[in-house]
Amino acid sequence: MRPLDPRLLRHAHAARGYVALTAALGIVTAALVVGQAVLLAHALGRAVHDGADLATIAPLVGWLAVVVALRAATTYVQERFAHRAATRAVAELREAVVAHAAALGPRWLAGGEGPGVATLATRGLDDLEPYFVRYLPQLLLAATVTPATLLVVLGLDWVSAAILVVVLPLVPIFMWLVGRLTQGRSERGLATMRRLGSQTLDLLAGLPTLRAFGRERGPASRVQALGDAHRRATMGTLRIAFLSGMVLELLTTLSVALVAVGIGLRLVEGELSLVTGLAVLVLAPEVFNPLRQVGAQFHAASDGVAAAEQAFAILDVPLRPDGTRVAPDLASSTIELRGVSVGRTPYRLDAVVRPGRVLALTGPSGGGKSTAVDVLLGLLAPDEGGVVLHADDDRIALADVTRATYWAQVTWLPQRPVLEPGTLLEVVGGADDARAAAAEVTGLDAVVDGLPDGWATTLGRGGDGLSVGQRQRVALTRALLSPAPLVVLDEPTAHLDAAGERVVLETVRAMRAAGRAVVLVAHRASLLACADDVVVVAPADLPHQAHAEVGR
Amino acid sequence: MTVPGEVPDGLHDDARSATPRGTLRRAVALLDVDRRRAVQAVALGTAALGCAVALAAVAAWLIARASQMPPVLTLSVATVAVRAFGIGRGVLRYCERLVSHDVALRGMTTLRTMLYARLSVGQPAALMAVRRGDLLTRVGADVDAVGDVVVRGLLPAAVAAALGVGTTVAMSLFWPPAGLALAACLVLAGVVAPALAAAGSRTTEREAAEGRARSSATALGLLDDAGPLAVAGRTAIELDVLRAADRSVAAATDRGAPSAALAAALGQAAVGLAVLAALLTGVPAVTAGRLAPVELAVIVLTPLAAFEAAALLPAAAVQVHRSRAAAARILALLDAAGPEVPVPGLTPAEPVLVARDLVAGWDGAAPVVRDLDLDVRPGSAVAVVGPSGTGKTTLLLTLAGLLPAGGGSVRLGGTDLHEVARPAASVVHVAEDGYVFGTTVLENLRVARGDVTPDEAADALAHAGLGTWLAGLPEGVETLLGPDGRTLSGGERRRLLLARALLAPAPLLLVDEPAEHVDPTTADELVRRLLTEHRDRGVVVVTHRLTPLAAADEVIRLDGGRVAARGTHADLVARDARYRDDLAQERTQQTEDA
Repeated sequence: MRPLDPRLLRHAHAARGYVALTAALGIVTAALVVGQAVLLAHALGRAVHDGADLATIAPLVGWLAVVVALRAATTYVQERFAHRAATRAVAELREAVVAHAAALGPRWLAGGEGPGVATLATRGLDDLEPYFVRYLPQLLLAATVTPATLLVVLGLDWVSAAILVVVLPLVPIFMWLVGRLTQGRSERGLATMRRLGSQTLDLLAGLPTLRAFGRERGPASRVQALGDAHRRATMGTLRIAFLSGMVLELLTTLSVALVAVGIGLRLVEGELSLVTGLAVLVLAPEVFNPLRQVGAQFHAASDGVAAAEQAFAILDVPLRPDGTRVAPDLASSTIELRGVSVGRTPYRLDAVVRPGRVLALTGPSGGGKSTAVDVLLGLLAPDEGGVVLHADDDRIALADVTRATYWAQVTWLPQRPVLEPGTLLEVVGGADDARAAAAEVTGLDAVVDGLPDGWATTLGRGGDGLSVGQRQRVALTRALLSPAPLVVLDEPTAHLDAAGERVVLETVRAMRAAGRAVVLVAHRASLLACADDVVVVAPADLPHQAHAEVGR
Repeated sequence: MTVPGEVPDGLHDDARSATPRGTLRRAVALLDVDRRRAVQAVALGTAALGCAVALAAVAAWLIARASQMPPVLTLSVATVAVRAFGIGRGVLRYCERLVSHDVALRGMTTLRTMLYARLSVGQPAALMAVRRGDLLTRVGADVDAVGDVVVRGLLPAAVAAALGVGTTVAMSLFWPPAGLALAACLVLAGVVAPALAAAGSRTTEREAAEGRARSSATALGLLDDAGPLAVAGRTAIELDVLRAADRSVAAATDRGAPSAALAAALGQAAVGLAVLAALLTGVPAVTAGRLAPVELAVIVLTPLAAFEAAALLPAAAVQVHRSRAAAARILALLDAAGPEVPVPGLTPAEPVLVARDLVAGWDGAAPVVRDLDLDVRPGSAVAVVGPSGTGKTTLLLTLAGLLPAGGGSVRLGGTDLHEVARPAASVVHVAEDGYVFGTTVLENLRVARGDVTPDEAADALAHAGLGTWLAGLPEGVETLLGPDGRTLSGGERRRLLLARALLAPAPLLLVDEPAEHVDPTTADELVRRLLTEHRDRGVVVVTHRLTPLAAADEVIRLDGGRVAARGTHADLVARDARYRDDLAQERTQQTEDA
């Protein structure tokens, strides 16, 4: 794990100012720590050694109070902005990851690391908060307070400084050594722990099944036994894991003790003044304090760093370049899929989409119909072949077209329609007359009549509040109303009864009559019957690909 | 899909559901913490940090005394003590951490065992509700969170209290005013600061909850519907919504941050104040001759080391606050399970399941299936078909007695299903999402019946169409399966569940989609055999395949939660257009596939 990844600063602007602020506060803190020690040593030294009364040391005590107040203020500012910076940096990373992953497209999201993005965006990145709030400040203090206090000790008493300088590098060395020596054992221990833990969860998760067979009572003692075994395994691992903490504490406290004893002995010899001795005594623990805190916060921070690394890996996946040409008017263009293959589903698919005609894509499930639609929509670049737009005498590859200008002319109804939140009126849109006419075709008018608030009914995200069939009707009405010259309907009758199916047929006919190009992904014979052209989409392993273009 | 304001599964519901006071106390009580060990942990922790305080005090004494240049021998006890305390701190702290984790782990085992025991004998409906969410997968984490309260919250608080009292008393022995001042400062750092920190964290969580939920829902929406949103040109709009939600979270954080910052500043200031107070009260005492100069050094420098325990408490308070949500979920689970459901004494006269005017649905939601009549007796073979989402699964759960009927009745041998002792002895329900345990194939089959022999197991597997699969396993029926059958394909899993059901001694079987994720020919063969080869049993099969249903005595087609058609396969082919159409569709596809 890198303590401070430069990519974090590059991707999260909020982190930059925060790191600068924390570094500045670290320098201030270092000065205050030194100031506090020196002032305290002088005030106390003079009172103890010279018998000075309160009036004599009052200025020193006054300054000491100021330093105490300033340290509290510094802590306040640090903590105040730590939370803000953490939330904003996490939000920035979240937005960047979500935007980038969305731009990578549905195919990328469905495979490989795709499914992990949701967890990362909703929960994983939140682990960066302890990193920003707790770990990073201590890291910067280790870079400011530790050297500053060490230098001051060196200036005051080189013998004590020598002890501290010898011990300081031992801290990481010993921690590394202990880590190395115990790694094998603790990894084995962790594996056992995980296995036992998952077996307990296994029994809990399988409880409904055990109960369905009437065999739920036996395993209670097994849960107890697994728990005991889990505890023993965990304790075995902890005994080793805590060793590094003990080494850290032993080294730091013992070296402070040695410094104290050394000072004492030299004071007796008169080689050192009491003020110097007190200052070194107060400063010695401060040399190690940030390092100990870094060690203590390490585990909390490492989850966040791992999440950030995952985020950077996603951001590094290159996006498909967008085209540069404006899409032709699809109302007068034909779209040709030529030898399109994505892996082996679909394999060498040819199809032509023409204005005023209905093209149905059919074929076995898993044959690549939805993939073919993704290619047609420009959401996916095929491995072989391509999509060509024929406008007048011009031929433009879809890959050369700016996607936004193409999508502006497309209406797509995926299998699960996506409806934005809002009232029914807002979601469906269109002028009153046109909407009424469209709603009559799709049967949405009957649905609206049955709703207490009618067109003013508020839909939640994704159309919550309506049944699947009703949602389908809303989406169909909207598709019918949209002026887009290309309409793509993916299994529009999947969740509909016979009446719903008639509605879809009506809608498709109305779209064709309006001169729009309709692409249907269809299974049912009734739906296929209304198509002008039928193309069977098949994977490569089928003996032949049927180009059953049925002219009308 | 998530409605704004509704919380996506497992996200931030902690902050939203207000947890009643005493939640955490109840949950921690369930850990049944071993008092002797807890006291031991506190004693060790106090001794460890006490070493640090003593180290500071003795070092201060040593240096102050040394400056008076006494004979070196008078310092020897102090020099030894300083080193001893230096070692003691590390070693004792190590022991304390081991003991406190042991205490928590024991408690967590107790809680897990109790949870299992209560869920296994409580209301079955509680368990069903749990199964729908991700609650069960979260139970492990929730139990850990309650255990965390002990290690990171209660024990550190006890150590801080013991150490605070000890240090204050010791200081007071030297100079009471300094002791009092130290006590006041310890209260500031160990009580006021943690309270402020917890309040700040509460404010943030409360005010950020809505924004967080919206942010998560929007992010999930953007990822789930990336394609449709891009084509519809709405990606940028949704990203704006996400940004706005995150901004509101940031604003809420800003409102909670001052309290947290004040808590941190107070903790820092308390140390300085204690030192200043010791100086201000101690120096005049030295001048007046009531305090030795060497003792002044001790009372001024000791506070520098006295706040280590108190400094951990603000973080502990936040942790305790966060664990409260986990505690609430565990208690809710226990409360839903209720006390042990008394096992009724009635044994059904004969294994005949009769449903009349049955209404099935999830508690609180609209009924999914209405007005269903059904008779199942040994020898009958019934198939239930219909589009997905019409309530076939809910119907089976209700027939099995795992969901209470929303209306009408389900009787087993003339007795209401809920008054039957061990209905599972008569009716076995094979869920679509039945669980495959992370153990051997054989042990998984023995879930149905404890005395299944390896040969019986092999037979049942072959019967479920897994003969080839079994032959390919490295250790046959003794092969280990991953947790929740992750090493199985969807089709293998379904057939393993079927094999298990076939081994159950119950005379009635309710089987949900035994043949999904299986190729059509195999699927049809499986369903046909299930319907024909177990004439000594009554079988109800929910399936999406129509072709093999000629083997059923009766086919019920559900649509929109009602019986759309019922009769024999031949009847339906003759009378029901939709059934005919679907069947034709199934056959065309199969010919195409072949």
